[in-house]
Amino acid sequence: MLHYVLKRLVSLAISLAVASLVIFFAIEVVPGDPAAYMLGMNAQPDTLAALRDQLGLNGSIPERYLSWVGGMLQGDFGTSYTYRTPVAEMIGERLWISLPLALYALTLSTLIAFPAGVWAASRRGSVVDMGVMGVTQLGVAIPNFWFAMLMVLVFAINLRWFSAGGFAGWEQGVLAGMKSLTLPAVALALPQASILTRVMRSSLLDTLSEDFIRTARAKGLTRRQVLWRHALRNAMIPVLTIIGMQFSFLMAGAIIIENVFFLPGLGRLVFQSIAARDLIVVESVVMLLVFAVIVVNFAVDVAYAAVDPRLRGRR
Amino acid sequence: MSGGGLIRAALTNRSLVVGLVLSLVFVGAALISFIWVPQDVTALDIANKIKPPSAAHPLGTDHFGRDILSMIMVGARTSIAVAVVAVVIGMGLGVPLGLAAAARRGSLLDEVIMRGNDLVFAFPSLLIAIMITAVFGPSALNAIIAIGIFNIPVFARLTRGAALSLWTRDYVLAARVAGKGAVRISAEHILPNVTNLLIVQGTIQFSLGILAEAALSYVGLGAQPPIPSWGRMLADSQTMISLAPHMAIFPGLAILLTVLGLNLMGDGLRDLFDPRIRRDRR
Amino acid sequence: MSLLRIEGLSLAIHDYAILHDVSLTVAPGQIVGVIGESGSGKSMTALTVMQLLPEGAQATGRVMLDGQDVLQLSEADLCGMRGRVMGMVFQEPMTALNPIQTIGDQVAETILVHDRVSRAEARERARQALARVELPEDRFPLTRYPHELSGGQRQRVVIAMAIALRPRLLIADEPTTALDVTTQAQILKLLKRLVQEDGMGLLMISHDLAVVADMADQLVIMRHGRVVESGPSPDLFHRMQHPYSKALLAASTHQPDRAAQPQEVPLLEVRGVIRDYVTARKGIWGKPGTFRAVDDVSFRIRRGESLGLVGESGCGKSTLTRAILGLEEVQAGEILLDSQPVFTGHKPNRAVRRRMQVVFQDPYGSFNPRHRVERLITEPFHLLNAPPQGAARDAAIAEALESVGLTADDRHKYIHEFSGGQRQRIAIARALIIKPDLIILDEAVSALDVSIRAQILDLLADLGDRLGLTYLFISHDLSVVRQVTDRVLVMQAGRIVEQGETAEIFDAPAHPYTKQLLSATPRLPDITDA
Repeated sequence: MLHYVLKRLVSLAISLAVASLVIFFAIEVVPGDPAAYMLGMNAQPDTLAALRDQLGLNGSIPERYLSWVGGMLQGDFGTSYTYRTPVAEMIGERLWISLPLALYALTLSTLIAFPAGVWAASRRGSVVDMGVMGVTQLGVAIPNFWFAMLMVLVFAINLRWFSAGGFAGWEQGVLAGMKSLTLPAVALALPQASILTRVMRSSLLDTLSEDFIRTARAKGLTRRQVLWRHALRNAMIPVLTIIGMQFSFLMAGAIIIENVFFLPGLGRLVFQSIAARDLIVVESVVMLLVFAVIVVNFAVDVAYAAVDPRLRGRR
Repeated sequence: MSGGGLIRAALTNRSLVVGLVLSLVFVGAALISFIWVPQDVTALDIANKIKPPSAAHPLGTDHFGRDILSMIMVGARTSIAVAVVAVVIGMGLGVPLGLAAAARRGSLLDEVIMRGNDLVFAFPSLLIAIMITAVFGPSALNAIIAIGIFNIPVFARLTRGAALSLWTRDYVLAARVAGKGAVRISAEHILPNVTNLLIVQGTIQFSLGILAEAALSYVGLGAQPPIPSWGRMLADSQTMISLAPHMAIFPGLAILLTVLGLNLMGDGLRDLFDPRIRRDRR
Repeated sequence: MSLLRIEGLSLAIHDYAILHDVSLTVAPGQIVGVIGESGSGKSMTALTVMQLLPEGAQATGRVMLDGQDVLQLSEADLCGMRGRVMGMVFQEPMTALNPIQTIGDQVAETILVHDRVSRAEARERARQALARVELPEDRFPLTRYPHELSGGQRQRVVIAMAIALRPRLLIADEPTTALDVTTQAQILKLLKRLVQEDGMGLLMISHDLAVVADMADQLVIMRHGRVVESGPSPDLFHRMQHPYSKALLAASTHQPDRAAQPQEVPLLEVRGVIRDYVTARKGIWGKPGTFRAVDDVSFRIRRGESLGLVGESGCGKSTLTRAILGLEEVQAGEILLDSQPVFTGHKPNRAVRRRMQVVFQDPYGSFNPRHRVERLITEPFHLLNAPPQGAARDAAIAEALESVGLTADDRHKYIHEFSGGQRQRIAIARALIIKPDLIILDEAVSALDVSIRAQILDLLADLGDRLGLTYLFISHDLSVVRQVTDRVLVMQAGRIVEQGETAEIFDAPAHPYTKQLLSATPRLPDITDA
């Protein structure tokens, strides 16, 4: 087990290193002179030089890369050119909206998908199964930001149950904050819940057709007991993969959904920075999101080993 | 076959038929828009702005008085073009990579391809689009590249997985005994037996591409004005949603129905291909 | 008083008739062997008793177990009986266990499902059950997972699960088919012992007459969903009435006529061959190890000879085959066909390869389903510098197909239009089409039903005589090797432990491993007097 985790840790470190290289090259090397790009056509030579100095663009490419990575390792993401504040601080503030939103949506999606998937699989071919499959078919096809707009129309504008956008702030209490995030989280969760339900169902059906299920039935277990005791845990392996992948889609989706609800999260930050050509902020946010995705996938790999003894290696 | 089995078989067939019809409607609309649209989408008619559906404008008009039906027809071109090119990029690069990785399983090449895949998977297409846009500015081409790059590992993994199991078949061993090399075997024996899977996955990536394109142009990272696109129509409608809900509803429905159609088609194709594969294995 | 009495059982699945009027009985302490080829309905009979049939199954008749008709029982009652009154062991031990549960928990589950006992008590009884199937706790702790056990050990766990509550009836569906012959002998002995100790009835299902003949008290022969003949064993072998039973017995012991005598010239020479594989590193900083799959193997095959190569799974016979075919390079030694090396300068030698062909085991996986027969069987033409074109190619295709008993018109068909036996004929046609000297038969008849197997063996013998072919006959099935080879090699753990004339080795084996293999091989009763 330890061996397996160590191996995964090594590959985690390599992935992070390569990902940071890719991001660094895409944003700092490909455009040529980032300072000139950020200031636009009519930049004065002395402002350019000042910005270069501020961004640390005077060193060689490897030096710049190392100082960027070294800074990040110490929590220093540089200083935003437009806002003149440390990027780490800006991201820290915004993260308090984007991360809870993604986790809220992930929780919702999992809470919906598990029972729905199990229910459909255990009544395969029935009206229930067809109903669940029909709804998920729609859920997979619906663009989440459009669904979000429709919910605003219904629940915020017509019924006035929620506010149409903005964030109450956590200082108003956890419940008020959660309420501001509820519509966005539902919009994010619906397509993901649909995908997860379908994966859960088909994985469970695959597992139920395995030989060891028949062996368990021959021991005298009822269909229900076989489902809960043998099929479910085995069916979790592909489901875990999807949950891991969903996290990255949810982080990305959150960026888009924040736009619908005018939430001051990472998404808004990144689009404002693109408009302002603030490459330092864009680079940091992208790196942070990629970091999150890679770490979550590492966690999923470790979870595999917890579920499947075959990965832990022979004793 | 029992009654239930028959009903199920008919239903799966129906999903193929419904999916095909829906997809063809939107592809057809996109094609027709090249020669005819109800109203020119470049002409602004401020006097007739945000009108609800009527005989003259079956789906109403937008904030510039443009006919929404025409906008949707022209917007379909953008969506379909972006998604199709992205699938072509994904298949064109992903399938050969997957075949190569499977042919040299366990080698350094395989390891590099698979780790590369993992890396690309860590970049959702939105992040790729953000990076490209930050540096080069927004355009429809960005959307194509961002979605296309994301498609590469999808096809590479699928191809490799299926090819690996085919490489263990005795007919591949027979081909090796006949002196055939890895490239020839991949072309003659592996690729033809993964085409079905690729067609099904291609349909799914096509529909995901349409969703992704809509999302990217909604946040301004995709097609730029004046090219109409479904995502931007939704972005434009957002501030007027209480005033003119039709501006938000119809483009969204267009996305929903196209994606639904493609997914249904994918499911139908999978069921169509699967029994033959199963019969074969017995 | 019988324990299980099946009377007039008919079964249909989705209106497709599977069983017709099947009747048989099992008494306590009795072993009843049900024999049949594929499609005979023998497994469905077993699943009907357990009531674990696929969806859409409709059974009529009576299946009386312990005084109750299982066809009339509710699902709840059946769950109460499965595992307690009747237990079942399946064919495929590698997939029959839940991969993510310990063996102790899986055996204990049988007890927990039926008896209101504590977890500790259930584990204690699981420990006893595992000890009874010769998996003592000191060597096989209850915390082992299935992937840490071999196939034979897993089958023991399945048996432990089935007998943990000492059921009255045990059903074993091809319990040893997936196992090596020595493991098979141990499992059969174990089943026999359990029957004696517990006085339970055993319904044993097999395609292999010899396996059942060795241990059954009563035999039931099935074909196409009907019982064709039944009676006490071994008497039934002497008094068989039904033509199918007789044909089955004849096919099981079939000895093809072979006329050609091997010449004294060697065709294939294998000298001191070693094949190592690199294994996974141990730990992150560990060095990769090596595994020696073929260890200093030397032998020769004379022209026109049929040489047998026997050994259990993992002994290195497949690796050796791949080395001979020039698919993998060896680390030491040389392989020569007519004095020419198979590998020259790290590359396979085409001139040699075109003189060798191979026929594989699986008639279903040996062909690309998307190609027509003509394309399938002409694949070896790739080895020729100037493959025949036009009329010459057509003639070659027709000749190859006709020589294996098919027609020239079959060239236009796809492979799914043929049965397993016909596919194996097509595989032989593919091997013959470039007129090789040596054909390697890699378990080529192992997947076939006995009657089909007899036909293919006849075909091979006939072709060998007519075309002067040399065969390397690789098999785990010693009785077949005995019937068709002149000489035999016995392989164990990468080494040839014994070689010699087939008759001599079978009659007077010298090496202990050969002796062990031979004594483990199930034998049909001697019926020469009948």
